[in-house]
Amino acid sequence: MSNRLRLSIVDPTGLHARPAARFVQAASRFASRVTVEHAGREADAKSLIGLLSLALRPGSLIELVAEGDDENEAITALAGELAPYVREADTATTERGDR
Amino acid sequence: MVNLVLVSHSLELAEGLRTMAGQMAGDTVRIEVAAGTPDGRLGTSAPMIVDAIHRADGDGGVLVLLDLGSAAMSIEMALEDLEPEVRGRVAVSGGPLVEGAIAAAVQASVGATLTEVTAAADGASAMPKLPGAPS
Repeated sequence: MSNRLRLSIVDPTGLHARPAARFVQAASRFASRVTVEHAGREADAKSLIGLLSLALRPGSLIELVAEGDDENEAITALAGELAPYVREADTATTERGDR
Repeated sequence: MVNLVLVSHSLELAEGLRTMAGQMAGDTVRIEVAAGTPDGRLGTSAPMIVDAIHRADGDGGVLVLLDLGSAAMSIEMALEDLEPEVRGRVAVSGGPLVEGAIAAAVQASVGATLTEVTAAADGASAMPKLPGAPS
């Protein structure tokens, strides 16, 4: 498992606030620096404001990145947390609907 | 852990927000409300804010959020009435009440410091409310 995972948001309402809050709580359990990258911007996965500021919508491509001693565990756990709202992104997929 | 006090002119507004923030953050964060007047009208009351801060007070400190207008003056009076020791553990955020309370509650739930929780509430004003809006 890499410390970097490309995902595509599939949930019809984007990543809504409650799952985002649970995601922040899950990310905060790891020592690694965890970020979510989207459309050239990077948000701290341990900050609800940071995450919601990405304004993710259905079809948004994100990259989940963990850097630190427990990066692999973090990616595995956080991918599990996001599982209902994402699918693994095909690297050839072009982003739609995002500027 | 940091706990929160929500100051609002309306008890219903504050209670509703307490339910929302509590559901987002889980029940480890204590959220107290000081809302409406002692006789049940719309307004804010310094003594009620002092009581709420005492109920919320713990090792991690207390972040106070407010709706608008004279709530700021009532908070100022309440802070003057607090024991200096308690006062030193209290911060006030001018961030938006709804987003600020939710962001603060979530950051508090992961063990953030009072400074970090305050920054989350303050930073909520920069969060785009509509999808696609510039941030």
